[in-house]
Amino acid sequence: MKARVNIAHRLQSLGVIVTVLLVWELSCRLVGISSLILPAPSAILVRFVDLILTGTIWPHLAATLTAVLSGFGLGVVAGLVSGAVISLVPAVERLVYPYVVALQTVPKIAIAPLFIIWFGYGVASKIVITALVCFFPVLVSVMAGFHSTDRDQLDMMKAFGATRMQILLRLRLPSALVLIFAGLEIAAVMAVIGAVVGEFVGAQQGLGYLITALNFSLDVPGVFAVLIFLSLIGISLHTIVRAGARRYVFWIRREQTPIVT
Amino acid sequence: MQSPASEGAAPLIRISHLEKLFATRSGETVHALSDVSLEVADHEFISVVGPSGCGKTTLLRILAGLDVASSGSASISGQPLAGPRHDVGVVFQQATLLPWNNVLANVLLPLHLKGDKSEQSTQRARKLLSFMGLGDFAQKYPFELSGGMQQRVSICRALMRDPKILLMDEPFGALDAMTREMLNMELMRVWSEERKTVVFITHSIPEAVLLGDRVVVMSPRPGRISAVVPIDIPRPRSLRTMGLPRFGELCDQIRTMFGTEHHSAVSL
Repeated sequence: MKARVNIAHRLQSLGVIVTVLLVWELSCRLVGISSLILPAPSAILVRFVDLILTGTIWPHLAATLTAVLSGFGLGVVAGLVSGAVISLVPAVERLVYPYVVALQTVPKIAIAPLFIIWFGYGVASKIVITALVCFFPVLVSVMAGFHSTDRDQLDMMKAFGATRMQILLRLRLPSALVLIFAGLEIAAVMAVIGAVVGEFVGAQQGLGYLITALNFSLDVPGVFAVLIFLSLIGISLHTIVRAGARRYVFWIRREQTPIVT
Repeated sequence: MQSPASEGAAPLIRISHLEKLFATRSGETVHALSDVSLEVADHEFISVVGPSGCGKTTLLRILAGLDVASSGSASISGQPLAGPRHDVGVVFQQATLLPWNNVLANVLLPLHLKGDKSEQSTQRARKLLSFMGLGDFAQKYPFELSGGMQQRVSICRALMRDPKILLMDEPFGALDAMTREMLNMELMRVWSEERKTVVFITHSIPEAVLLGDRVVVMSPRPGRISAVVPIDIPRPRSLRTMGLPRFGELCDQIRTMFGTEHHSAVSL
């Protein structure tokens, strides 16, 4: 019964996208919108396949993937570690927290040009920008996660004689996971943004670089085709994080996940 | 059937002249408990009723070792209270089960915290679960259970270390009336078979009278004991007990105490 409803819902959303694409295609053909402004979906698809067949896309895709994955990895690890240290050592939290909040309000993207100067035009600067963009949502979610421990459950653990370490491992950490996974989901989406912005600002390779180049030669269908690749990276990373969340915070039903992208 | 604490041997729980002051955020002092004295005998079932703010939860938290009194003394088995004890099991208003552990692991938690992962304790946990009608649910997760079932699991967890004393803080307050009555009956069964001493906090007068050997009536501002009413209805009691004239009388008597207390609080 439930499976059938699910299938029906999927078919409905599929119907929506098909309708949108059809209307888009038809209005391009019938109204005659210039492909310089809005190319038809078919034109985009042709460019998409073309980019693959000519092999143009691969070095750029590889560069962006490297930046996204390494940056995401670095940012997440750094966020988890510093978040844990800040949350678990009250003195550190008191000293550092105001600055964390202040830093978080700085638009990280705006510092991208500086990173190009510091780390060069290669992939290193993109990795650093991506890592920085991923770092903050993870850091904040870890801190929020450790603060989200339920008071009653804490009392319960104490009443049954749990030690501080047991409370940390058996209660605070699993409680925190819910929000940490929410932070990871945000980071997964931000990672692609970080890498692309880095490539916009200065690069010799990467999907962001390719977009600027294609845009410059007025190949708008090509730009759209690259956008599809970018979305695919974002969706894949997000799906992986979601799968992790379903596995490790299985007690939160999907609809209840406090997220957000 | 139950003899009050004054007779016979030393009381299991002895509370004398307990005071508890809280400082609120705005700097005011709240007198949560004022000169509270109470003795509870072994195997006694004590109900504590009172409106919110009468300090009944504070009293229970002190007995559970979660809070420290400002002055006065509290002892269990003659030993002054210093933190949570092995021989005390607590059931909270919320089931407070760990959502990432299944039912069996939740029940075993108090023993796992002590490093006891023996087969016997798993056996005992399973026995307790079947005793509470949850035999088939050992591998389920809390979110798969109803509120009443979750609270039963939490009672099993409290019984796991075979405590002498069971402290219960409005354990059925969040449940619907039917489930609540059913769990009242089950609690009486647990109490009579396992022979625990129970301190049961509630804001329901009928529940307090139905379950208790004595009902401690508390009143707020400052939180204090305004009366201790012995319940002379013979056991075993059942839901039919609530139809007895004596049951109604006792409930009325306690309700009247609330009434007068409220009036005096208002006129002040």
